[in-house]
Parts: sequence; C-alpha cells; structure tokens
Amino acid sequence: MSLMDSILAGLSLVGNLESFLALFAGVVIGTIGGAIPGMSATMAVALTLPFTFAMQPITGILMLLGVYKGGIFGGSIPAILIKTPGTPASSATVLDGYPMAEKGEAGRALGMALWASCTADVISNLSLILFAGFLASFALNFGPPEFFTLILFSLTIIAGVSGRSLLRGAFSAMLGLLLATVGLDLIYGTNRFTFGNPNMMGGLNFIAVLIGLFAIPEILSMVWDPKGNDGTARKLGRNWVTWADYKASFRSIVRGSFIGVFLGSIPGIGAAPSAFLSYSEARRKSKNRDNFGKGEIEGVAAAEAGNNGVAGATLIPLLALGVPGDVITAIIIGAFMVHGLQPGPMMFIMNVDIIYGLFIGLIVSSVFLFFVGSAAIRGFRYVADIPRGVLVPGVLILCVYGVFAVNNNIFDVGVMFVMGWVGYLMMRNEIPAAPFLIAFILGPLLEDNFRQSMLMSGSNPLILFRGPITWFFWGLTAITVVAIVRAGYRATRQLRKREARAADAR
Amino acid sequence: MKLLKFGAVGALALGLASTAALAEYPERPINMVIPYGAGGATDISARTIAEPLGQAVGKPLVMANVTGAGGATGSVAVQNAKPDGYTMLFARVGSHSVNPAMKATLPYTLDDFRFVTVYEINPVACAVRPDSGIESMDDLIAKVNEGGVSFSSSGVGSLLHLAGVMVLREFGVENPLDAATHIPQKGGGEAATAVLNGTATFICTNSSALASFVANDQLKPILITTKEPVVGFDAPTAADLGKPNLHQLVGWTGIAGPKGLPDDVADKWGKWMAEAVDAGDFREKMESRGSVIELMSPEDANAFIKSQYETFRALVDDLGMRIEG
Repeated sequence: MSLMDSILAGLSLVGNLESFLALFAGVVIGTIGGAIPGMSATMAVALTLPFTFAMQPITGILMLLGVYKGGIFGGSIPAILIKTPGTPASSATVLDGYPMAEKGEAGRALGMALWASCTADVISNLSLILFAGFLASFALNFGPPEFFTLILFSLTIIAGVSGRSLLRGAFSAMLGLLLATVGLDLIYGTNRFTFGNPNMMGGLNFIAVLIGLFAIPEILSMVWDPKGNDGTARKLGRNWVTWADYKASFRSIVRGSFIGVFLGSIPGIGAAPSAFLSYSEARRKSKNRDNFGKGEIEGVAAAEAGNNGVAGATLIPLLALGVPGDVITAIIIGAFMVHGLQPGPMMFIMNVDIIYGLFIGLIVSSVFLFFVGSAAIRGFRYVADIPRGVLVPGVLILCVYGVFAVNNNIFDVGVMFVMGWVGYLMMRNEIPAAPFLIAFILGPLLEDNFRQSMLMSGSNPLILFRGPITWFFWGLTAITVVAIVRAGYRATRQLRKREARAADAR
Repeated sequence: MKLLKFGAVGALALGLASTAALAEYPERPINMVIPYGAGGATDISARTIAEPLGQAVGKPLVMANVTGAGGATGSVAVQNAKPDGYTMLFARVGSHSVNPAMKATLPYTLDDFRFVTVYEINPVACAVRPDSGIESMDDLIAKVNEGGVSFSSSGVGSLLHLAGVMVLREFGVENPLDAATHIPQKGGGEAATAVLNGTATFICTNSSALASFVANDQLKPILITTKEPVVGFDAPTAADLGKPNLHQLVGWTGIAGPKGLPDDVADKWGKWMAEAVDAGDFREKMESRGSVIELMSPEDANAFIKSQYETFRALVDDLGMRIEG
C-alpha cells in the first residue's frame, strides 16, 4: 500500500462526524479537567476511559488523545491565574506565569501559553508521523545506565530554577529528595520511612505534594494577611499576546518542543521534567535571563512548549513499540487493549488505517486545541477578576476535593495540608519550590536506575559509561556544572566589586 | 464488667442493625475498590465485569481506583471497611496471594478478607527476545547455569518476581536467587520494556500482558504454565514439559469483602456472578484479551486462593525470599 492509499484508508476511518465530535469533546473535557486544580490530565483521561469502551476503537482513542492534549494545556490556566498547576506538567508554567498575572498580564501569559502549546503540539505530532520508527529504535537503546546519566544531567535544571540563591535551591532539592524516599524500596521491597502506616507504603501522593507546595502556601499567606493584596491590579485586562511576543519567544518554543519530543519518545520520563528542562534551557540562552522568575513571557512559552511537546511524542513508544511512555499513555494503552488492538511494529502493517487515522486525528487536534483553548481562556478570565476573599476559599475546596479524588484517600488530603505548611515556611524564607518538585520527581528515577544498573553489572560502576549515549550525557553534565560554577563565581566577584565600589564611594 | 456488658449490648445492637440492613441487601450503591491503576489488567477486567454485574445486582456499582504499594493501599481500604457488603474489592493474584506470601510487612493477611468469587484466570507465559538465541526452556536453563541471566518484574513481591523464581526452580535450578539476577521495574509495562531493550534476559507474566509483543514478534514465548495452550502463543505448556506444579502459577481476578462478610451476602454475590459472566458479550470480550473465564463459588474461590498461597509460601520460605524489613 502506498502512502497515499494509507492516508486515504485513515481518512475513510476518521472522516466522519462522530470521530471529530469525539476528538473535540475530548479536547474540551481535557481543557476543563486540566484547569481544575487537583484534577490532573491523568485523572481526566482515567475518568474518560470507561466511556470509550462502547465506542468504535478509533473514536474512543481519539477522544482520549483529545483529553490528554487538552489536559496538558488546561493545566496552565490555573498555574497562571492562581499559582496552582492544574496538572503536574504545568508546574514550570507557574514560575513566570503567576508573576505575570500578579502584574496584571494574565491575558498575555495565557495567550502565550496557548500559542506555545499549539506550536509544540504541531511539532510533536509531525515528529511522531515522520520519525516514529527512528525515535522508537533510538529509545530502545535507553537502558538503566543511559537513563541514569540523562537524569543526572536533568538534575542540573535545579540551578536554573533556583532563583537568586543556589544554596536555597539546593536545600529545597534536598528536602524533595528526602521526601521522595518515602514508600517501598524498589529493589528490596522493604518499607522506607513509612512509620508502620499503610498509607505511606505507596509513597507520598505526587498530586497532593504538588498542590500542597504551590496552592496551599498562597492560601495560608492570604489567611495570614487578608488585606495584603487589596488594591493590586489583577485583571486579565485587555492585554493579549502579540505577534512580536511570539516571534521573540519563537526560538525557545521550538527548542522546548524538541526537548519535549526527545524526552517524550523515551519511555518513563514524562512531561513535567521536560517542561522544567525547556524552561531552564530558555533561561540560559535568553537575553532577558535576569527577568526569568519575575514574569518573563519567554519563560511561560518555554515551559508550555516543553510540556506539550511531549504529548504527541509519547505516542511514539506506544505505537511503535507497544510500550507506555508515562502514566497517561499507560491508560491509553488500556483502551487499545480493550478494543483488541495490539500496538507495536505489526500495527503499522496490520492496522495501517488506524495508524493513519490517528495521525490525521492528531493533526486536527492541534487545531481544535487552539480554538477550545481560546474559548477556555475567555471563559476562565473572569477568575482573575474574582475578589481574592471569594476566590481563595473556592480554590481551597477544589484542592481538597481534587486531592481526595485522585486516590479516594483522605490521607492524601492530610499530606496536602502538611506540605502546604512546608511550602509556606519555604515561601517565607524565600526558598524556591521548583527545585523541591524536580528533585521529588527525578530523585527516585535516578536512584532506581542507578540500582538497576548495579544489578545488571553486578555492582561494576563501569556500566555507567557503557556507550556513546552515556558519554554524551556525562559530557553535557560536566559542561553544565562547569558553566554553573563559573556563573556563580562571576556573580560573586561582581557582587564583591560592587560592594567595594560602594564602600569606596562612601 | 460494666464495660464488657456495654460492649456486648453494643455488639448485639450492631449485629441487629446490620441484619436489619441486610434484609434487603443491596439497598444502596456498592463501592467497588480497584487496587490498581486505570488501564491496567485489573482495571480493564473489573470495568468489563462491572457492566453485566451492575445489571445483576440491580444497584449501581461505584468503581474507584485506589492505587499504591502494589495493590496494598486499596486492599487496606477494604480490609478496614465495615463488612456489610457495601465495600468490596477486586482482588488480584499480586495483592492477595503473592504479596501475602512474600511480605511479612504487609498490613493484611488472607484471613482479613472473605472471597466471594474468582471469575478470571490468566495463564502465565515466559518470554525472551527473539534475537537472544534462546529457543526453549532448556536453552534458558543452560544459559542460567553459565551465569549472567536476569529477569524483570513489576516490583518486589509481584507475580512476575515470584513467577521467574518458581519457573527456574521447577526446571531444576537449585537456587534461582543466586543463579539469576532479579531486576525489578516500576510496573508491568516497564518490565516488558526491560526485556525489549536488553536490560533483562527473560520475563514471566500474564499472557495478556505479553500478547501484543508476541503478536508483533518483539518477544518470543518459551513457556505457558497452564494445561491448555494459549491462542497466539507458539510455546509448549507446562504439561507438555512435564511440570504439573507450574499449573498453580496463574494470575486471577476475584472479588472479596472484609472478613466477617455475612453468608447471605456472599451467597448473593455467587448468584450475581453466575448471572453476570453469561450475560451479553462479557465472556467473548474477556477471552479475546487472553483471559480464561472460570467462575468459582465463594467456597471454591477461598480454597483456590488458599492453595495457591500455600504453594507460593512454601517456595518463598524454602528460598528465604520473605521480606521482613
């Protein structure tokens, strides 16, 4: 069958109202689900899954993909408006999105989030369609040692999101690493820091930690000082993202998209680290580096490109290898199984119509995302106008509800509040929350892959240098660490000079 | 004394109240806990039975995924629930026979639950990479004796972990724990990936989890543990190879309530399940995914799980695999 035939076969499969309606409905459900704090994209997909059982295979899968893509974008809305990432992937969007909202530029930030998301989505989908085979076979070269070096490199992001004080960032990361050790030990299956409580055996719930760290401190500080924010302009306003903004951030968006595609095609990493990596790379390369973290639009663009770039690419391992890349695609692979489809290389031969149908649907989904996203921004903009005294209790209720619903477990709500106080203390002491989160996500991955490598080699550390991929990441890590040290050294010297000059002037 | 009397009266009152409520069980929706994540084998199985089962029950079934710690978090939620039949659990081989056999630290034992049914059996298959040069179990055992063989699992105390050890042991490897390296992964998908990318040599897991890899020629099956062959798996069964002990090594899904679940509730579940498995296209759907539908009465289910548990426990104790810390 030629390419044209395949495309036509795919088109005949999805070229009906039902499929497009399902896809559209999916994007809407995802955007709303993602926008509700605590109800992450993962949960939106999980909740939609049973409804797709009765549908045609392609219709159901398209709907789930719509929810996925909508959810990843939708998460940026509360991240920007109320400093609560709607889905873990949008944690990096908080860093600059929320300061922009504080300055009364929520509309501009949301608009940029949408544009960056859609651009990254298109790039990600095209990569899937054009390079699925190549990227999938590349991803199969990633065993535990390669993962270990990749994650080691990713940990250097911490320096990029630490803000002014690297020491405070490192402290935050240590705290994250420590809390990530709670739960069952992967290799021995023994309990770690569970204090005999069965609720802790599964580790601290990620969503509970996330919401606790970002949303609750805001609520607590509002309770501490109810009038503190009166009179500050927090309107969505008339400001909207401009073509010039987009052009200025374009390089970061494309870079972020490809980081997303790369990390998405390797099973096991997910969208949040990609968003952070994209953000920190953008910060490193940007002229406005000093403005990052204070409301820089390029930061929003990079973060959103990083997480949406993953969305299409996670389908590469799923379709080409039959391997789920993250939690969400693990759910979507369930939908394939329910319909008796077996994703993998043979699917490209046996069910080529479904593959091309999905490709067509994915491209259309980017367009739907743009329109649904624009409408959602218009709808949610009023959130910015709600007086804080009304908004904050509402957010609190949503958080409690959402965190409970993740696992139907009241213990998680407790975790959220405890983490809320931790986050509040960190906020009061100007300790950034982002390094905590990165360490919390990446720490266990680093540990598990290190120990798996050691199991593979019989504790011979040479396995960590076993091939070009590991050398590449060791090299990158070394270069980045040197750059961080040099930048830190320079900053200190400049500070000293300035102090000396100030002393002279006196 | 007073306290004792008070307690006795209280217990009696509670007993009365619960019998009164049970007179028309079920009078409200039933909470069904799935201890594993959405899209996994247990989840799909549970949601497929939920439709015909809900019709048989006549009241809505509220499905909730409570995940974590290899199924323990959700199981504990049901263990601690009132045994009134309104909180039930989709129990699975991992959470209710392998885990209790392997983990001393588990907050529950089999005695904390009363099984009302087992409705699905999943054959276990072992597979390797097609380019590994391993064509049969004999090849694999020869490789194990050479050294350097590893197997992946979805975590310590998972079915996959125990299956790898049990299969090697049955095929004459004296101490599988030393002869082969166990490389635990974070989940079933990751475990299969580990064999695909060469991190581990072989994997033993439910045939349904391997079906797509086998169909795609990414993995080569070398053993099926059931008596009957499995469609799509071109590999000898344990019966063919003369290892009848391995027939115990199968996955299953069942439904359980907390210990103390009254007899009439258990009986009702038995009746509902009999209705549900034959309703609509349930059987057809499940079989197309590689499951064997085998409905067990409450008594049979308890006996089946108990005997599987004891087999596993004996193996675990024999090899000193029990996790105490």
